[in-house]
Amino acid sequence: MLVSLKEVGKYVDISDLKAEDIASRLTFSGIEVEEIKRSAYATDLVIGEVLTCENHPNSDHLHICRIDIGTEILDIVCGAPNVRKGLKVIVAKVGCKLSNDKVINRGEIRGVTSNGMLCALNELGVDPKYLRKEQIEGIEELPNDAKVGETRVLEYLGLDDTILDLSLLANRSDCYAIYNVAREIGALFNREVKIPVFDEIKTYQDNEFKISSLASGCPAFYGKIIKGVHIKESPKWLKDVLRSEGIRSIDNIVDIGNYVMLLTGQPIHCYDYDKLLKKELIVKDNLNEKFVALDEKEYEIKPGDLVVTSDNKTMCLAGIMGGEKSEITSESKNIVVEVANFNFASIRKTSNRLGLSSDSSLRFSKGINKDQAQDVINLITHFIKELSDFDECSQTIIYDTLDHSNKVVDCSVSYINKRLGSSFSYNEIVDVLTSLHFEIENIDNDNFKAVVPNYRIDIDGKADLSEEVIRYKGFDYIRNELPVMETTVGSESLLRSKERLIESYLLDNGVDEVLSYTLINKKDAEQFNYINKNDGIEIFNPLTEDHKYIRRNILSSVLRVMEYNINHKNNNVSIFEISNVYSKGDKEEVHLAIVLEGDKFKQDKINLGSKTYFDIKGLLEGILKMFNIDNNRLKFLPLNDNQEFHPGRSAKVMLDGKVLAVLGEIHPLKRSEFSLKKEACVMLEMNLSLLFNTRSANNKFVELSKYPSVNRDFAFIVSEEYSFQMIKQEVKKISSLLKDVHLFDIYKGEHIKEGYVSLALSLTYEKMDGTLKEEEIAALDNKVKETLINKFKVEFRG
Amino acid sequence: MDYKLEFDNLKSKALEEISKTDDLKALDELKNKYLAKKGEISLMMNHIREVEDKKAFGELYNLTRKEVESFLNEKIKKGEEKKLNEELVKERIDITLPGNNFERGVANPFFKTINEIEDIFVGMGYSIATGPEVDYDKYVFELLNIPHDHPARDMQDTLYIDNNLLLRSHTSSVQAHVMENAKGKPIKIICPGKTYRRDDDDMTHSHQFAQVEGLVIDKNINLGNLKATLELFAQKMFSKDTKVRFRSSFFPFTEPSVEVDISCFNCKGKGCSICKGSGWIEILGAGMVHPNVLKMSGYDPEVYSGFAFGIGIERVTMLKYGINDIRRFYQNDLRFIKEFKKVKED
Repeated sequence: MLVSLKEVGKYVDISDLKAEDIASRLTFSGIEVEEIKRSAYATDLVIGEVLTCENHPNSDHLHICRIDIGTEILDIVCGAPNVRKGLKVIVAKVGCKLSNDKVINRGEIRGVTSNGMLCALNELGVDPKYLRKEQIEGIEELPNDAKVGETRVLEYLGLDDTILDLSLLANRSDCYAIYNVAREIGALFNREVKIPVFDEIKTYQDNEFKISSLASGCPAFYGKIIKGVHIKESPKWLKDVLRSEGIRSIDNIVDIGNYVMLLTGQPIHCYDYDKLLKKELIVKDNLNEKFVALDEKEYEIKPGDLVVTSDNKTMCLAGIMGGEKSEITSESKNIVVEVANFNFASIRKTSNRLGLSSDSSLRFSKGINKDQAQDVINLITHFIKELSDFDECSQTIIYDTLDHSNKVVDCSVSYINKRLGSSFSYNEIVDVLTSLHFEIENIDNDNFKAVVPNYRIDIDGKADLSEEVIRYKGFDYIRNELPVMETTVGSESLLRSKERLIESYLLDNGVDEVLSYTLINKKDAEQFNYINKNDGIEIFNPLTEDHKYIRRNILSSVLRVMEYNINHKNNNVSIFEISNVYSKGDKEEVHLAIVLEGDKFKQDKINLGSKTYFDIKGLLEGILKMFNIDNNRLKFLPLNDNQEFHPGRSAKVMLDGKVLAVLGEIHPLKRSEFSLKKEACVMLEMNLSLLFNTRSANNKFVELSKYPSVNRDFAFIVSEEYSFQMIKQEVKKISSLLKDVHLFDIYKGEHIKEGYVSLALSLTYEKMDGTLKEEEIAALDNKVKETLINKFKVEFRG
Repeated sequence: MDYKLEFDNLKSKALEEISKTDDLKALDELKNKYLAKKGEISLMMNHIREVEDKKAFGELYNLTRKEVESFLNEKIKKGEEKKLNEELVKERIDITLPGNNFERGVANPFFKTINEIEDIFVGMGYSIATGPEVDYDKYVFELLNIPHDHPARDMQDTLYIDNNLLLRSHTSSVQAHVMENAKGKPIKIICPGKTYRRDDDDMTHSHQFAQVEGLVIDKNINLGNLKATLELFAQKMFSKDTKVRFRSSFFPFTEPSVEVDISCFNCKGKGCSICKGSGWIEILGAGMVHPNVLKMSGYDPEVYSGFAFGIGIERVTMLKYGINDIRRFYQNDLRFIKEFKKVKED
């Protein structure tokens, strides 16, 4: 909202205040001033008259002019096509600083000295959109009666205004009206505000014209018929005000409508009385038709859209834009003025659906003052009388179902102080509220009633009054004290503390933590879904296809991060992310994804080769150990039949029969999709919710054996059809004296036939109640050998 | 025979020979030559039978032997030292070669900020709450005093799944969940989490961003409590002497509502590029919980009051580290991430 301080100055005396001070006070009290603008700016201007104008000898478009500026005669070279003898012009003297900070110097233009510049308005900073083509292409032509030698040029031009650009929040829609901004400034600076009030003008009684509403979205509609108006150009002062407010001047009637809207916040519409199909204006919301608006575009009216009709045809898209059919033109003689109340939600809905908005729809959609319709009608009639004159004017024709009684809020001084942490006195609070135009009715020395001014539609209850007090007084009045409550023990949620445990474990192991988007594209949303098999969720109104699907896995996203880094030559990527994933049926899970690419974490200056399945499995095991998950509850199953993981180098990890994680090498056919060249990457996705919610063994001390344990090594060749997991489980079953089975060597290749592998196990025997005897050890050895041979057909080595 | 002269000659000879060499092997040979069982000094003992003053002879023998021995040992010790020094020189490594790698991974600074904020508030006695990102209209809007026709609900702002279900556009939705679960008891929580808006991504906007919501409810909570709390937070997060300033603002779920500025931690209020010359930086929105919100969640606004605030994670991180583009967080360029290796800021 642009607010002309010159206009505000008509209602409250601000002549001694600086724009910066007004802006700062408004900003701190909840009405943010985004920018202070000058309607034009230049120093050292003077009005001059062109005495002579001759062509420049060295140019086909420049002129050499002698300009009388009252105190002296200046020679100025000017290139404007419209410069001519006798013209009154704006002269920028040598030393003049223009709005764009350009300084006018004495200069030589093609051999002729020029002592200044003749100006166009845009050179003084006027936005070209308010200027005619010839005003931009040439210099400004001042009227003949302009006084030569006048130095207060901006004032003469009506361009000495300062404009505040307000960024209004939803609660202060009342400030879309200059009257209310003036009231606010008056209140904040303790000044009297004088808003003019006019009596109704009425020259005849119209009993024929009908105004009504059949739509609940229009509870009030005030109309007035004015006959014999004179449509013409607006006077200069009105054009100046509108320009300051960012509105183009059209003609006097349209301009008055806009001006009254700027003053009061009430949108106005005027119809050509003679173009209405019937002598009626009826608001409806059940039409289904095509409608051509003032912007000459056709719009589809649908049931639910508020429209103003005559003979069941749409004359106006209510509160948004008028129609071509009843448009006021230079030929119009008789008009109907509309001052209506349209429901903000209806207006917003239609405006959004049609992608059509206006100064009027902006105000309606924020909510307007419902109690000023008659005053607004009177104001318009007054201006039309003044700026156009008319022959006849009907009474105000009223349809009104609104309750116009005052809003009253019960409040107390103690409530306000308790809410704010302040110690204002009764009088201080009453003074503030009175300044803000509330009427206060004392009840006792604490309680009072506040009658809310009708334009403050945001005030509902006493909490709102506490805000009025503190925004007016300033926030330095509140006591800066920490809350006094029952002592609480601060704590991380169980979920977050577990997440942070895993986060720091992975960081400690050299894996970097990344952050990716929840919303992903269709392709990524449909791959790598091994854990969460529920249906995915789609956004109904996505902004782009790239962010349309809520992810059910984070592996795709983390792989994309890897891809980005490979493409940016950041080698050896080790990254993880912990994030929520969602699927249909209100399912929320926390997942972890890790991707390892490139060379191993170098523990020495020797290349240890690429990261492998076992590196990522090691991280998984590290996490499971932190949560004390018994190995017996886990099962590693091969991930056969998939196109995303290498079928021979990947696993699905089951915990108590549920999928806890998938891990492994990327499928060779998938590599190029993520910019991997020859190298593979290994990756993991894990359902942390399952891990966090599963019971896990607590740490408990088990007595250590006082007697020495015995380590025995077994090396053998075994077919690859038996997994290490199977062998280990079987061996462990042999005896309770067998405490541990540890793999210390594995070999494949030369001297070992295809499909076989050489394993070396170290077994630990231990007894709680004595030292193991030779024969006990031998018996255990035999049992181990027997088991290995019988169950796994192993062949022992040397 | 003048055995005395004999001893003197032997000693001089031995000392001279010993003094001529530094070589450990030669010294060992000299040890053999003079001091071993068949060494020249040892063999002198054979003459004891020939002398009368056996005591004097014995003393002279011991003295000679001791003198040679100690000189020899000294030489050997020096020789060994020299040899060791030579070896140490050979074993020298290039101490400027990189160390073996035990580097910690680095977290995207986004997570650093979340953890830091959590730690600050946990230290102040707050609990961490969580809430769903996919949530119902009721919690994201209705219970927060944003009725059906409020502009904040316009389709262009919020990402919907269907009429009733959406991606939360602020963490304030957690307020409604927490109050529902607390069933009228006092509350002191923060909730960090991701939020989503229907926004194009550019330098300062992101369709996904994160907030930390704070909510305190009890019988005597006031606006001054909010200011003191946020000042303490800002001092821990930015710098010890940080000041907090309120400006009146509007949110549907708080009344009064405020925008919170902190004094610029960079220029200490003098004006710089970070604070755009004003000396103050806008960091968050806050306010006193609206009585309607309390009422809808089962708290009597005549008895209970509370404050709430919402801190933008990315905004705080960008300010703190001078990051100028919010998309950096989601790009995850490892060169960017690795810049934040320092675990704790001073």
